Amino acid sequence: MSTPAQVYAYRTLIVNLAQRDLKARYKRSILGWLWSLINPASTLGIYTVVFGVILKGVAPTMGSGRTGIFALYLFCALVVWNLFSGTINIAISSFQSAGGLLTRTYFPPEAPMVAGLVNVLLQAVIEACILMFFMLVVGNVSWTVVIILPIFVLLACFAFGIGLVLAVFNIRYRDVAYLVGILLQVWFYATPIVYEITLIGGAGHTFLQCNPMTHFVYAMRQSIYMLGTPTLINWVVMAISAAVSLVGGWMIFSRLAPRVIEEL
Amino acid sequence: MALIKPEPESAIVVDHVSKSFRLQTDRAHSVKELITRRDRKSGADHFQALNDVSLEIPKGSMYALVGHNGSGKSTLLRCIAGIYQTTSGSVRVDGRISTLLELGAGFHPDLTGRENVYMNATILGMSKKQIDAVYDDIVAFAGVEQFIDSPVKVYSSGMYVRLGFSVAVHVDPEILIIDEVIAVGDAEFQRRCFDHLYALRKKGVTVVVVTHGLNTVESMCDGAAWLDHGVLQLTGTGPEVAAAYMDKVNAAERAEREAADEALAEELGETTASGSSKPVQVEDVQITAVEFLDGDGEVSPFGVHRDPFTLRVHYDAIRPVPSPVFGIALFSSTQVHITGTNTKIDGVDLGTISGTGHVDFAVDALPLTPGDYEITVAISDEYVQHNFDRREREYHLKVRHGGRLAPEGFMDLRGSWSVGSGG
Repeated sequence: MSTPAQVYAYRTLIVNLAQRDLKARYKRSILGWLWSLINPASTLGIYTVVFGVILKGVAPTMGSGRTGIFALYLFCALVVWNLFSGTINIAISSFQSAGGLLTRTYFPPEAPMVAGLVNVLLQAVIEACILMFFMLVVGNVSWTVVIILPIFVLLACFAFGIGLVLAVFNIRYRDVAYLVGILLQVWFYATPIVYEITLIGGAGHTFLQCNPMTHFVYAMRQSIYMLGTPTLINWVVMAISAAVSLVGGWMIFSRLAPRVIEEL
Repeated sequence: MALIKPEPESAIVVDHVSKSFRLQTDRAHSVKELITRRDRKSGADHFQALNDVSLEIPKGSMYALVGHNGSGKSTLLRCIAGIYQTTSGSVRVDGRISTLLELGAGFHPDLTGRENVYMNATILGMSKKQIDAVYDDIVAFAGVEQFIDSPVKVYSSGMYVRLGFSVAVHVDPEILIIDEVIAVGDAEFQRRCFDHLYALRKKGVTVVVVTHGLNTVESMCDGAAWLDHGVLQLTGTGPEVAAAYMDKVNAAERAEREAADEALAEELGETTASGSSKPVQVEDVQITAVEFLDGDGEVSPFGVHRDPFTLRVHYDAIRPVPSPVFGIALFSSTQVHITGTNTKIDGVDLGTISGTGHVDFAVDALPLTPGDYEITVAISDEYVQHNFDRREREYHLKVRHGGRLAPEGFMDLRGSWSVGSGG
């Protein structure tokens, strides 16, 4: 099956597939690609109103010493979560919708999924830019912003490996896509995104520490909000989970995909 | 020392390839099955699409795969293209493959023709630079210049297909794999497609095509393979395979007709209790015999070059048939279709025929060179839509020398030579 080198050889196709999906997504809309800016910006606006004004959520003090803003604190975690869930969902859907193409011409079956990943990463970068814009406005910026890059890369690998496995199973058992929708919701609340990990004690705390997403979220908040650096444990968990997921996912996908393609 | 012609290099070698599919059912299968490959070994729910197929396709040739629906042709194409993995055996391919298994593969309805051309060509393995170079040709060949910036969902199905085909043939492949797609488009477009395929072939491109058009196989293909239920029946030159396949189809049709006749005879036999073993004629008219007559009107087992010749078709019409069309076709012993005509082409209306009788086709001087020929005779309705009876190459004609030198080839043009002087 396809090696990463073979997939790289098809990079023009991947770029084109990604472009096609992007173009098709905003066809016949007046604002076009601006929607990918408006969407996350409005989410941030809604959180500001709901958590800042109505619920008066309390966030830790920022790295710059400024009083905490809950909407930004939450948004840091959401950028990470959106990249994670977006990658898994796009892997499943793009493999399924590429079926018609894969039975008619040869290219690495990973290609449409990588194209989907490219678009999700692009969206994540846009969201990160919006986040950074508001961080600039409130004067809470430091060099630690560059840590976003390794976080995104590791997170993308982690999510993509999971997505590869789920995508291939989804062809034979369409239940997978539905199940994933539910499991992602559970996972969302099993990750300290809308609450702080310090609120949970005992066994719950240990459980949260075993969740790789906890570390990704913490690392993101640490570098963007607290203006610090993630802990060594964060790095170790992120790196190992990314490597295991990507390598394992790729192997399983490579083994099962050829047989599954015939059923697309 | 004899010169040994080097074997032409093979573009594709199919080596004992078998392919089986898991039969898909509505029931979802167990997760264990997917992981353990247990399903591969149990043969019960498997369909054998290809069974130990071996063939070689020489470089630069045009090669056809023929066979009825479900014979495994498309599966074989997909194995060659690398879309399917073979269950056993191997496929070796030497060259860059471009596949044309469906026109406009990957077209997105909301994107414009231009965007889709780039998308589609990329899927077929072209780089942006290569596409830029042939973009104008692609659009011109498809004849959709006016609509190239409209979304393809507003295209007519013909435009859609033309654009897809145009992209595929402008990809610069070493091997082009085509699955029954030439049959689309109007006559004008089909002609252009064939011209283009011819040009590709002259450039040394190997073309592998699945087709039901036996004329294509006969006239355009260097080689062909005939598959039946996943088993290779025959490989050979285009005309050989087309002829063998045609014979098989006709035999099957005749057997079917005979079975129907018998069934009818049985039915009639029960009601009339006649007990006659003569098969009951179902069609309104059938051919009972074909004879060759010489210049004196005598039955002769052969024809003579440049002598008068008459082909007599005896018929038996159990019901009156208005304006039937009698047709003949002439083949060489190497299955080259030399000529053919019928009463409709020649503007002859036979009126209504009934009972037994014969129809003659006469030529003043037989324009065939000495040799062996095969003749097809058919009787069809006045619209040439339904064949009452058709005898595919059932009659063998031997043409003899008529005491003069005969020209080369099959035809004697009987022209006259003259010489003039000056400009």
